[in-house]
Amino acid sequence: MENGNGSRGDDDVGVTRPRWRFSRPSRGTQLTAAGTRSIRAVLGRLNSSVDPSETRPVVRLANGDPTATACFQTAPEAEDAVVDALRSREHNGYSNSTGEPHARSAIAEYLSRDLPYELSPDDIYLTSGCVQAVEIMISALAQPGANILLPKPGFPLYEARTMFSHLEDRHFDLIPERGWEVDLESVKALADDNTVAIVIINPGNPCGSVYSQDHLAQIAETARELGIMIIADEVYAHLAFGDRPFIPMGVFAKIAPVVTLGSISKRWLVPGWRLGWIAMCDPDGVLKEAKVDQSIQNYTNISTDPATFVQGAVPQIIDNTKQEYFNKILGLLKNSADLLFSKIKDIKGITCPHKPEGSMFVMVKLDFAALDGFSDDVDFCCRLAKEESVLVMPGTALGMKNWGRITFAIDLPSLEDGLERMKSFCARHAKVEA
Amino acid sequence: MATHQSNGHIATADKGHSAAAQNGHSNGKSNGHAVAPEVEWNFARAKDGVLATTGANMSIRAIRYKISASVQDDGPRPVLPLAHGDPSMFPAFRTAVEAEDAVAATLRTGEFNCYPAGVGLPAARSAVAEHLSKDLPYQLSADDIFLTAGGTQAIEVVIPVLAQPGANILLPRPGYPNYEARAGFNRLEIRHFDLLPDKGWEIDINSLESIADKNTTAMVIINPNNPCGSVYSYEHLAKVAEVARKLGILVIADEVYGKLVFGGAPFIPMGVFGHIAPVLSIGSLSKSWIVPGWRLGWVAVYDPKKILQETKIATSITNYLNVSTDPATFIQGALPKILENTKEDFFKRIIALLKESSEICYKDIKENRYISCPHKPEGSMFVMVKLNLHLLEGIQDDIDFCCKLAKEESVILCPGSVLGMENWVRITFAIVPSSIQDGVERIKSFCQRHKKK
Repeated sequence: MENGNGSRGDDDVGVTRPRWRFSRPSRGTQLTAAGTRSIRAVLGRLNSSVDPSETRPVVRLANGDPTATACFQTAPEAEDAVVDALRSREHNGYSNSTGEPHARSAIAEYLSRDLPYELSPDDIYLTSGCVQAVEIMISALAQPGANILLPKPGFPLYEARTMFSHLEDRHFDLIPERGWEVDLESVKALADDNTVAIVIINPGNPCGSVYSQDHLAQIAETARELGIMIIADEVYAHLAFGDRPFIPMGVFAKIAPVVTLGSISKRWLVPGWRLGWIAMCDPDGVLKEAKVDQSIQNYTNISTDPATFVQGAVPQIIDNTKQEYFNKILGLLKNSADLLFSKIKDIKGITCPHKPEGSMFVMVKLDFAALDGFSDDVDFCCRLAKEESVLVMPGTALGMKNWGRITFAIDLPSLEDGLERMKSFCARHAKVEA
Repeated sequence: MATHQSNGHIATADKGHSAAAQNGHSNGKSNGHAVAPEVEWNFARAKDGVLATTGANMSIRAIRYKISASVQDDGPRPVLPLAHGDPSMFPAFRTAVEAEDAVAATLRTGEFNCYPAGVGLPAARSAVAEHLSKDLPYQLSADDIFLTAGGTQAIEVVIPVLAQPGANILLPRPGYPNYEARAGFNRLEIRHFDLLPDKGWEIDINSLESIADKNTTAMVIINPNNPCGSVYSYEHLAKVAEVARKLGILVIADEVYGKLVFGGAPFIPMGVFGHIAPVLSIGSLSKSWIVPGWRLGWVAVYDPKKILQETKIATSITNYLNVSTDPATFIQGALPKILENTKEDFFKRIIALLKESSEICYKDIKENRYISCPHKPEGSMFVMVKLNLHLLEGIQDDIDFCCKLAKEESVILCPGSVLGMENWVRITFAIVPSSIQDGVERIKSFCQRHKKK
C-alpha cells in the first residue's frame, strides 16, 4: 500500500521517512477547546503565574478541593469502611456496569430520605465521581440536532462534554440580584422543540446559592411546560449552612422528571475516591418510557466504573458516619463563608451581591471602574497570582466575564491571609481619583 | 418552531402540545401535577437513537447478562462463569498482599483524598515509566505515561484522540468489542483485518494492507491476545511495526495481559519497535495483579523518535483526561509501592494456575469432537474454540449454543459473534483447575446430548 514515498532510503531502519496519517489535527481542535476550557487547565495557567521566588504560602482560593486543609478531613468511619472493603478481598473483581447492588440500595435509601417517594436500587447508577455522571448523562442525551440548557455562570465541565458529544449548548442566566435564581424568562426564550434538558446546580457552584422551595417548583413547572427533563447537579447536597434548607429537585419529579447527579466527594471530603451516582427520579416512568435508562445502561456497559471496593464500602460509609461530623464540616464552611462575605465588603473594587449560603464557592464582581490597568478578569487573576500568590478562578472560565469565583472551603487563617493580600492588591491597583 | 411564551398558567395542557397521547402516555389522570398525558417530552425522541437501540449489541457485558439470564435459577450445580476474565473471586487467585497493604497504607495517610491531576499523580507516572522501561531498549519518562481508570478508560481515551472526520481505524477480528463500541461512538470508521487460526492467530498482514487507505490513522494489536490466547513472536511484531510504518499509521498495542504468559513464547512489548512506528500501549493492574475492580490502568506513549510530538497526541490525551474521571487518587498513590514490592513469586503463582487450567482446557477440547481449538493457548486468560455445528443438532449458531449451554449446564461462555467470529466461542481458563475441569466436562456432556443422530 503506497503512501507516496516511493523508494527505500536513508535512516536506520532503511526506509524513507513515511508520511504519518494521524498528523491532521481536526478533531484535536474539539479536544483542545474542551480541554483548555477545563478548570484544571485554567488552574494550570494560574499556577504558572505564581512568582517562583515567592516565599509566602500560595493561598488557593480557586478550586473546590479543601482536602489540603487539615480541618477538612473525611470521617474516620468512611476511611475504615474502605479499608474493610479492601481487606475483605470480596471487591477486587469487576462490578456490574450499573454498580454493586448493595451500594445501589444504600444510595437509593439515602436519597429517598429527602423525597416524598421511594427510589429503587434500579434507579441508581454508580459512577466514577460526579464527573463521570455528567459524562454519562451528556452522552446519553446527545442526538443530532438536540440542545441542552446550561446555567451561566456555570461549571465548565458541562460545556466541555457537550462540545465533545456534539450536543448543542445554550445558556440561560442566573440573576445575581435575585440570589442567583434562574432567569426563567431566558430559559423559555432559549428552548425549542430540540431542547432535551436543563441543568440546575443546587446548592450552586459557582454562586453559593441555595434555591427556595418556590423557585425549585417554578423551575420544575417551566421544564414541564417545555417538555424537558431536569438534570439536578446536587454534588453539594446538604452543604447548606444559611437560612434555607437544601431541598432536592427530586421532590418535584412528578412535575417534570429529574435526573439527579451526586457523589460523596463534597459531603465526605473525598473527591479522590471517585464515587458518584446518577439517580433517576422518575415516579411517573417518563424517563423509562423514553428509554433514557436504557441509554444510560448501554453507555455504562462500555465505560469505566468506580473502584469496586469503594462501592463495597458505601453502605458502611453512609450508615456509620455520624451527624456530628456533618455538623462540624457545615460549621467550618459557614464560618469561612461569613468571614469571606464580611471581608469582601472592605475591598474596594470587589463586590459580592449575594451572601453565600451553600456549596463551597461564591461569585464576586470585579469593578473595573474602581480598578486600574486590567484588561479583564483573567488578567486580574493572573496578576493577583503573580503579585500576591493568591489564586482566584476567573469568571470567564465559568461563563461570566469580569467576575471571580472564590472558595471558602479553606481554613480561616489562610482565608484571612488571602483576603488581606487581595485587599492590598486592589488598593495598589485602585484607580486614582481624578 | 412553537414559541413558548408563558401565559402564566402551567397546570393545563401545554401550549403547542396537543392533548392527543402522541407519546404513548395512555392513562388519563389529570389531577393537576400528577401523570401528564398531555406533555410531549422532547427527550423521548432519543428512544430511537444510537445508544438506546444498539447498546445491547455493543458490549461483552450486555451479551453476558443476556446469556446469564438463561441460567436456571434452581440449578443444583454452581454456575461456571467461563465467559469473562476475572478470577478475583477465587482465593487461589488472590492478589499480592503487598499490593493490598500498599493501598491500605496509602489510604490511611489521609493525604490522597484529593483530586489527582488529570494525567495522574507524578509519582505514579514515574513508577510506571520505570517499570515499563525495564523491558525496553530506551527509557520512558513520566510524561510518556497517562494514568486511566483501568484499561477500559485507556481505550476511552485513545479512540477519541484519533477520531477525525473521515478517518478509519483497523481492528482485529476476532477482537475485543469495546474498541468497536468506542470507535462507533466516536464516529471513527471501523475496518477489520483477520487473525489467522492456522498461523497461531497471527495478523493476516495482507488483509491489513488491503483495507488501509490514506484515511487510516491506527491499528490495534492485542498481545498477549484476547480472545485467542496467542503470544506473538518477535518476528511477527517486527513485521507488524514495519507494515504500520509503511502505511503511516500508529500502533495501539493492548498489552493488559502483559505478564500472563505461560507457553514457550515470551511477552515482548510492542514498544521495542517504537522507533519503527510509534506505539500507544494500554496496560493495567487488572489482569496481572488480578484486581480489575481497582480500576488502575495507563496509556504509555512509546515514541523514541518523537514522531507523535508534532501531532500533539500527548496534548490531546491530556485535554481529554482533564474533562474525564480518574483512577482513585489513593490507588494511584499506592502504585509505586505496588510495583516495587510485589514479589515475583506472586506472578509465578498466578501463571502456574493459568498454565494448569489452560492445559486441562486444551486437552479436553481436543478430546471433544464437537468443538475444535486450532492453537494451544500460551497467554492471556482466553482461548477461541470452533463449534463443529454440522455434528450437532438443533443448535443454530454460537449464541444459541451459549444460551442452551447456560440453561442446561449452568456454564457461561462468550459467543464468538460478539467478537467478530460467528460459530466460535471464547472460553476463559482463568479459573481454578477443578472448575475448568468441571466446565469442560459439562460442555462435553452438552455436546453429546445434542449430537446429530
